[in-house]
Amino acid sequence: MTILTIARNTFRENIRDKILYNLILFALIMILSSVALGQLTLGHEEKVIVDIGLSAISIFGTLIAIFIGISLVYKELEKRTVYALLAKPVHRHEFILGKYLGLLCTLLVNVVIMAIGLILTLMYHGGVGFPGYLRLIPAVYLSFLSLALTTALALVFSTFSTPALSALFTFFLWVIGHFNGDLLEFGRLMKSVPLQWLFRVLYYVLPNLSNFTTIDSRNVIESAAYRQPIDPIAVLWVTVYGLLYCGILLVLSIAVFSRRDFK
Amino acid sequence: MNTRKLANNGARARALLGTCVVLALLIKPVQDRVEARLGQQSIVADQLYFGSPAAVKKMSLGYECLLADVYWMRTIQYYGRRGEAAKRPVRYKNLGTLLDITTTLDPDLLDAYRAGSSFLAEADPIGAGQPREAIKLLDKGISRHPLQWRLWFDKGFIYFWFLKDFKSAGEAWLAASRLSTAPPWMEGLAAMGLSRSGAVETAKTLWQHQYQESNRADVMENARNHLLSIQVAEDLWTLEFFLNKYRERTGSFPQRLDDLVRAGFLRYIPRDPLGTPYRYDPKIGKIRLDPQTKVRRLDVPEAYREAYLGRIARLYQ
Repeated sequence: MTILTIARNTFRENIRDKILYNLILFALIMILSSVALGQLTLGHEEKVIVDIGLSAISIFGTLIAIFIGISLVYKELEKRTVYALLAKPVHRHEFILGKYLGLLCTLLVNVVIMAIGLILTLMYHGGVGFPGYLRLIPAVYLSFLSLALTTALALVFSTFSTPALSALFTFFLWVIGHFNGDLLEFGRLMKSVPLQWLFRVLYYVLPNLSNFTTIDSRNVIESAAYRQPIDPIAVLWVTVYGLLYCGILLVLSIAVFSRRDFK
Repeated sequence: MNTRKLANNGARARALLGTCVVLALLIKPVQDRVEARLGQQSIVADQLYFGSPAAVKKMSLGYECLLADVYWMRTIQYYGRRGEAAKRPVRYKNLGTLLDITTTLDPDLLDAYRAGSSFLAEADPIGAGQPREAIKLLDKGISRHPLQWRLWFDKGFIYFWFLKDFKSAGEAWLAASRLSTAPPWMEGLAAMGLSRSGAVETAKTLWQHQYQESNRADVMENARNHLLSIQVAEDLWTLEFFLNKYRERTGSFPQRLDDLVRAGFLRYIPRDPLGTPYRYDPKIGKIRLDPQTKVRRLDVPEAYREAYLGRIARLYQ
């Protein structure tokens, strides 16, 4: 119950944030501009729109996740509101989980709005039928999962570091996470066995964000040229991976936050 | 009171970190499952986000050489990852563009012209099967480095082996031989190319020079494979020639290859260049490489077969 109260307050606080509105507006403008960009290509206009739309959802969602995520705990510490909160019968893990859930709700609302914007753009353009809109759901869902993971990363850093450093760390891990597959391949090319092991360990330890970009315009449109059916089992395993990784990061955040002395 | 509270917090934190470690152990099996499912996707998208060398050069903001190194490494990976290449709709569609971008960013990257032209010219599945693109790449290198005899040598080589344009090959080698830096044998090669176009000896000499002159392991390996393949082809043609002679004399193929030695056709039965005996099927009189051999056999042009058999026939008479 306490977790939900904190989550609700975090959500309200985020919604009042003006930067958030700007990002949503920018994302919607980006999606709508895809109509104009789509006209510049030769055929496959709907593919360009889906590509730009899904990328915009992912990029702007990530910006929200990083910039709000890093200040989740730090802001409470700086304003000293955390002292008043923890003096009440609120456990530290409840505080962390509530903050995380609050931001996740904010992201969900954002992602849904952006996805609706994308679908409206596609409807306006035509060329993608109702099954195409349905196939957008798993793509947006995986995008949301990756945002949940990015938020958890930002939260871990925000429990012990400053917002600037947290943003930097989270951004670097986000970039590395998208090249994780190359890390493994790079290790395979190494002649030194210890280096091969090092890259292999890094491959598993670092978040593999490329797992969440497996559904793209080729799966959504399913035209003759881009036919790639969505693999539900793969989506299931990616979900398990996302939940497991988020779980680890949340437990780590709680562990770090529990050790902090607020005297 | 506060001390007890802190101690409790510390114990809780340790328990939470332990939970973290346990959960982290599950990451590997889950990621392996994800990888296994995604690895089943049959087609790998083959996209280049920037295809214009001039545009990439402008975007490099002065870091052309650094970006050239990045593009060169990307080209090597694009070519070298055979498993990934097999999953692309067209195996090496973007190879030419990647090489063009690399050499536009750094026109002095000689390896990109030399090894890149070899990647482009080799037939599928070893290379892109685009010898004309390879010539274009070498011409680009020659226009920038007209005194580099190796670029002329490679150009002649591609004309000779992949395009069967022996006249152009001879002319390229002749141009190379006129450079002060060219080795003395270049003149002889040009003469051989222009006069005895298509001979197996010329081909062997070429691969031999390619093998000796290159400092790249993959180019050397390729030249070695071609030399071994010519050796295998010659062995098989020789054996088939004498099997047919044996049949003409006795009315049937020999039961074993050693019968050719006993009948006086050959002094010994050759093995493949890495020492594995050839496989013989007495019912149809056909010889082939043993599947267990380590020789990687590449195509040898059919025109060489006629020339070689004609020479054996003359020696036999």
